[in-house]
Amino acid sequence: MLFITANHSFAQISDFNHIDFKKADSIALSYTNEGLYNLPKLAFQLTNDLDTDAEKFRSIYFWVCHNISNNYSLYLRNKHQRHRLKNDSIKLKNWNDNFKKKLFKKLLKHNTTICTGYAYLVRELANLANIKCNIIQGYGRVSTTNIETLDLPNHSWNAVKLNDKWYLCDPTWASGIPNPKTNSFSFQYNNGFFLAEPKLFAVNHFPVDEKWSLIEDNAATFKEFLAAPIIYGKAYERLDNHILPKEMHQTIKRFENVRFEYQLKKQIQPKAVVFKIDNGTSIEKIEPMNISVQNSTLKIEHQFTKKGFYDVHLYLEDHLIATYTFKIKS
Amino acid sequence: MKQHVRLPQKNHLTTFSFIGLLLLTYFISNPIFGQTENENKATSITKERIIKGIVSDETDVLLGVNIVQEGTVNGTTTNEKGEFTFPKKLNVGDVLLFSYIGYETQKVVIKEDTSFITLKLTLDAVTMIGTLDAGKPYKSKRKD
Repeated sequence: MLFITANHSFAQISDFNHIDFKKADSIALSYTNEGLYNLPKLAFQLTNDLDTDAEKFRSIYFWVCHNISNNYSLYLRNKHQRHRLKNDSIKLKNWNDNFKKKLFKKLLKHNTTICTGYAYLVRELANLANIKCNIIQGYGRVSTTNIETLDLPNHSWNAVKLNDKWYLCDPTWASGIPNPKTNSFSFQYNNGFFLAEPKLFAVNHFPVDEKWSLIEDNAATFKEFLAAPIIYGKAYERLDNHILPKEMHQTIKRFENVRFEYQLKKQIQPKAVVFKIDNGTSIEKIEPMNISVQNSTLKIEHQFTKKGFYDVHLYLEDHLIATYTFKIKS
Repeated sequence: MKQHVRLPQKNHLTTFSFIGLLLLTYFISNPIFGQTENENKATSITKERIIKGIVSDETDVLLGVNIVQEGTVNGTTTNEKGEFTFPKKLNVGDVLLFSYIGYETQKVVIKEDTSFITLKLTLDAVTMIGTLDAGKPYKSKRKD
């Protein structure tokens, strides 16, 4: 209870608007290719010349995001085994213990890992710099997983305490883009996952221990979380919150008004708002019928004129933000 | 003016004589001064000392464990026998961090009687999981 009352739902990066993270970022970049063989030394190097905990943590987080790659084959092997052994807790634990040792060896030798490895490194380095930081285990929803049937926790991220307030970040998803076809990984830093707005974060992150949503009132239930729209990494760079619609799958009638609403990080031109509508065989790019941008709130109204079943993708400035499905009845 | 100049001189004199007195008292009252090495060692236990130790996990000794003095870059790593000798003399109250990737970092505070540290590190309890976000557009599964 203490924990919950001590937190504010608006714990996010705008609390640190007065801090320029350039110095922290350049320190982190100057230690590129530094190995993981000596974490205490690395933590010291990344933080010693910085004054505030926010900058120290930034340097650590930035370093991890730019130096650790995501390993797709490790991910697949683990996912497969965890699913296979999910009803045998002893075998599952044995698998995890053995896999963990292998994974940490890979991390040490090749700077490659899966989510928990990222969260582990961020926590270890932060703790070594005397910053409170936890690994948060939970569920992550992305476009490529079987999103309706998340039966085991599948994702890890961090909570960090800065100036007596907890904040969320996701170093795995911030670091870059894996390519499942080629088993490769390209670093592509996404700043939106650093001290992210908890309400947006909650759209595709659900912590096993629910207090770590950092949302005081009306936090989504697990059922609501599973029913939520898909949002993408780019949403974190452009949105502070996804407000409407609350559910991914919508069933409506032809010419029925549908409302969409988003809290924007920065202003955009109505022209930059586009729907791409996939009917299963082709994708049509359209402008929504009514778009308004006021006080950083983006509101869209739209009517579908033809019967059918559509995947509707929202794009802002050519970046994929969110996906919904619409069943249009006559 | 003259008095202003004289006054500090007088103070210097007083200071010197005070120090002299102190030294004299020290010579007289400190029986260890100028005596054998053995006795010097006896007193140094409560002061700076070299710390050695061995680090293992639940099954075996660990090679390459980082040992760092908290808040500094002073440090060393364990050898293939899991042993280490910390390169800098440490005082009571100094803190050593033992860190090894995948294991929980442990802190050891140097106490009056610390000279050899036997430490067991435990594998981090975390469960390894991961989900990738490839950023690919969602695609509904359709029946036909």
